[in-house]
Amino acid sequence: MTGLDYLWQALTPLNILLALAGVVAGTVIGSLPGLTATMAVAVLVPITFSMEPASALILMGAIYTGAIYGGAYSAILLNTPGTPSAIATTFDGYPMAKQGDGDLAITLACVSSVVGGLVGAAFLLGLAPPLAEVALAFGPVEYFWLAVFGLTLISALSEGNLLKGLIGACFGLLLACIGVAEISADIRFTFGSQVLLGGIETVSALIGLYCIPVMIDLVATPDRHLKVTQKAKGFRLKEALKISWLGKFNLIRSSVIGTLVGILPGAGGSIAGLVAYSEARRSSKRSDSFGTGEPEGIQATESANNATVGGGFIPTLVLGIPGTPPDAVILGALLIQGVRTGPSLFTENGAIVYTFIFGLILATVLMLPAGLIIGRYAYKSIITIPKALLVPTVAFMTMIGTYAIRNSISDVVIMIVLGVVGWFLNRFGFSPSPIVLGLILGRIAEQGFVQAWTIGAATEDLTGMFFGRPISLVIIAFTLISLFYPLIRKRWSTAGGTANAD
Amino acid sequence: MDILRKIGATAASAAITLAASVLISGVPQAQAFPDKPVNYIIPFGPGGESDITARHQQSFFKDKFGQDLVIAYKPGGGGAVGWSQLNGMIGDGYTMMGINLPHIVVKPLQKDVGFKTEDITGVYMFHYTPDAIVVNADSDIKSLQDLIDYAKANPKKLTMSGSGKGTANHLAQVRFDKMAGVKTTYVAFKGTGKAVAALLGNQVKAEWGYTSVGAKHEGKVRLLAVAMEERHPKFPDVPTFKELGFDLVSGAYRGIAVPKSTPEDVRVKLSEMIGEINADPEFRKRMENDGMALLDVGYKDLDAFVAEQAKAYEAAAREAGVIK
Amino acid sequence: MQIESKGGVKDLAGTIAAVAFILLASLALWDTTTMTDSDSYVFPRAIAAAMIVFCILLIAYNFINGAGDNAETDAASGAAGVTSTPRRVGLVAAMLLSSLAMPWTGFLLSGVFAFGAIMLFAMYDPWTPRRRIVFPSAALVVVLGFYTLFSKVLLVPLPIGFWFR
Repeated sequence: MTGLDYLWQALTPLNILLALAGVVAGTVIGSLPGLTATMAVAVLVPITFSMEPASALILMGAIYTGAIYGGAYSAILLNTPGTPSAIATTFDGYPMAKQGDGDLAITLACVSSVVGGLVGAAFLLGLAPPLAEVALAFGPVEYFWLAVFGLTLISALSEGNLLKGLIGACFGLLLACIGVAEISADIRFTFGSQVLLGGIETVSALIGLYCIPVMIDLVATPDRHLKVTQKAKGFRLKEALKISWLGKFNLIRSSVIGTLVGILPGAGGSIAGLVAYSEARRSSKRSDSFGTGEPEGIQATESANNATVGGGFIPTLVLGIPGTPPDAVILGALLIQGVRTGPSLFTENGAIVYTFIFGLILATVLMLPAGLIIGRYAYKSIITIPKALLVPTVAFMTMIGTYAIRNSISDVVIMIVLGVVGWFLNRFGFSPSPIVLGLILGRIAEQGFVQAWTIGAATEDLTGMFFGRPISLVIIAFTLISLFYPLIRKRWSTAGGTANAD
Repeated sequence: MDILRKIGATAASAAITLAASVLISGVPQAQAFPDKPVNYIIPFGPGGESDITARHQQSFFKDKFGQDLVIAYKPGGGGAVGWSQLNGMIGDGYTMMGINLPHIVVKPLQKDVGFKTEDITGVYMFHYTPDAIVVNADSDIKSLQDLIDYAKANPKKLTMSGSGKGTANHLAQVRFDKMAGVKTTYVAFKGTGKAVAALLGNQVKAEWGYTSVGAKHEGKVRLLAVAMEERHPKFPDVPTFKELGFDLVSGAYRGIAVPKSTPEDVRVKLSEMIGEINADPEFRKRMENDGMALLDVGYKDLDAFVAEQAKAYEAAAREAGVIK
Repeated sequence: MQIESKGGVKDLAGTIAAVAFILLASLALWDTTTMTDSDSYVFPRAIAAAMIVFCILLIAYNFINGAGDNAETDAASGAAGVTSTPRRVGLVAAMLLSSLAMPWTGFLLSGVFAFGAIMLFAMYDPWTPRRRIVFPSAALVVVLGFYTLFSKVLLVPLPIGFWFR
């Protein structure tokens, strides 16, 4: 632990103010579907030109961390991830909200996010240079296997019909291929259409597949959007803290997963959340209740995605290779300020780095009160606004948010069409989550596969490439375990005769 | 009668003046331009090199011309989504878009992407990031000759990462392989950042990168040669391909284009303004420090410049199988 | 998400969807023949092929486990209440039309139209005089507020529309 003396530099009134303002603005931005952390940070870049580098970093880091948390609101209350990082939060968050526990879910998400953010920042503070090597140890084939590991979640998310889940995932994987191929630059599946040239943007697809079906069903009945069982019970913080304490191992494990995935360039919060969710589900005593409003699910995803903030800064600051898309923007802003990243940044420019890290920790801590208050307000407004205003407001937000991602009207049209397709598929028993999984993981799987194949073919060692590398083998092992663990456990519990799980 | 005629004439001239002023107000006068913020659209996502160079220009624009340069992103289709919409935008000089070579040449040759290279009205090419071969600092490949020797001894086994296909990196690889008479394996990554990560992690032997890679990862990587006319001021010890006998001057060229409807005088004015930023010594210093090379191709010479580059790109892209 | 497809129930909708997916995958396979670089077609071909296999398996499964009715599927999401298909169609139509018209009408007009139309479709309570005033003004505040936030603060170049330039 070095650089404690910089703690005081981080605690100047200006920096505290920036951290608080950043977290609040970030939370609000993140909660609006379509407004991502990347965009929030990009908007700030010109403002930071006139700031001290450390203050600029604190402001951007605070916005980033707030936005990742804010994504949980719409995930829980509207079944729509506000940012891609919150995808897995919808799995249990929305069911909880439907059962009348939306306030508890939001508070739980807040506590988990703070824990995750602190764990990620702690790794950044203490172990950044050695951990940065993880980013380099991950080659194309490891990314491929990581994507395959993520895809095993299909079996958990296909709700009873594995075949339909697999078909849905294939659909998502094909959707990911539309447009200009990431690697070969070939133009695929556009059928001469300009609308499809840009491909299916992930966030707009998320909004379409998750949010539009909810809207379509909302207008169809006069019922209230969320069940309100009791009078508001405050923040329900005590309850949330109790659950968090009981789930502390889950929280810590998920935070570590989030940090590690965050270090990998190009993986990001959505994958961190999915991997943590998958692991939490596998190791939980209540695996069967995952997907039906299980608090452990929210804890896993929300702590993991906020841990990617600290994790993502590790390769960004140590290697100059951005860990996540918002990191790329932050890195660019630093370059313009004339700050060179690299291992020397920690020694020569320690003042900047350590002030920033303490600022990030400060912002994460401030997220607790700020997040609770904003979350309560968000929950209250969602349950009290009359339907005739709620539905058009959300619909309008999806349109403006989708447009803003790439400033594209085509994306808005694609979002709505996908929403209608998703609504029909849902009625036919194809749930949206496997499709989304395919869409997100497809690009990573394809890139990893093609690159690994090219390198393997060049070195004439394809088997060694795919099955001979230690990290790959570990990921393959985890994949197999998560596929077969439910079977094994069933056998154990029947053999032992004692069913300790329900 | 006379009075009436006078009134009529006055009214007519007033009407003409009014009409003219309405027309002119649509077309800002050269002196007054710009009198409101100028939109600068980057057809890629934030955080990439196109974004960073635009950000460099941003602060100088404000200082020199008193108006904000507002950067917005329109990513998709490797830039094609933005360029295909450029001519539909308002051509009053307050909307301009970044353009990149070889993208604007290669993309329309692949398939119908909604624009043709000649549809794009470029006003200035302001810099390029020269291609360079990069290896790890601890690699046993010390010079370009080492690399060629290795590639000759192990055909196809020399793996080189690079950013994308049909890009400056890829086309440089194709051209260099042909000139040197070697066969290397090009592994495309999504973006320079990931291509560098693959090199630093020893997933590949070498990288077709840019001079900017050398600047960003100083001390960890070694440049073997740069594809410039003369050595880069930041890397005086790194030879050019030309010095070593390979006629390769290439890279990712960046410039600015406007909608086709933009009037001639505004195009010239914008070209002068960007030239002015380019001439600023502080701007030059910053860009060169990032490993970029500045370029001054103004509005008048731009078409000829693009046409000349296009020939080489097209041949290489055909060779690479990126276009049929 | 609400629908569980139970084993043993003949799933006509799912079978039809599977056939549609086979057609889609075939279309994708056909498109891959226009690609020249093996890097571009290996992956989509493998996926499309896998998709066809899964679809055939699903169809076969549904035929083998034939008997039963599929009436339940529809009832599940209706949740006992009366559902209104016209309102659903109205919502989607309002969103689609306003987005498609956006290049001409601009974002603001499209947004106001979509908001207003959807508000009518989502209205179940009677239009009291108070609501007649409060709801439309709330609509304007929301649309204008977000419009200003996006265009002025976040500097998103929202489309102005051909009609207004």
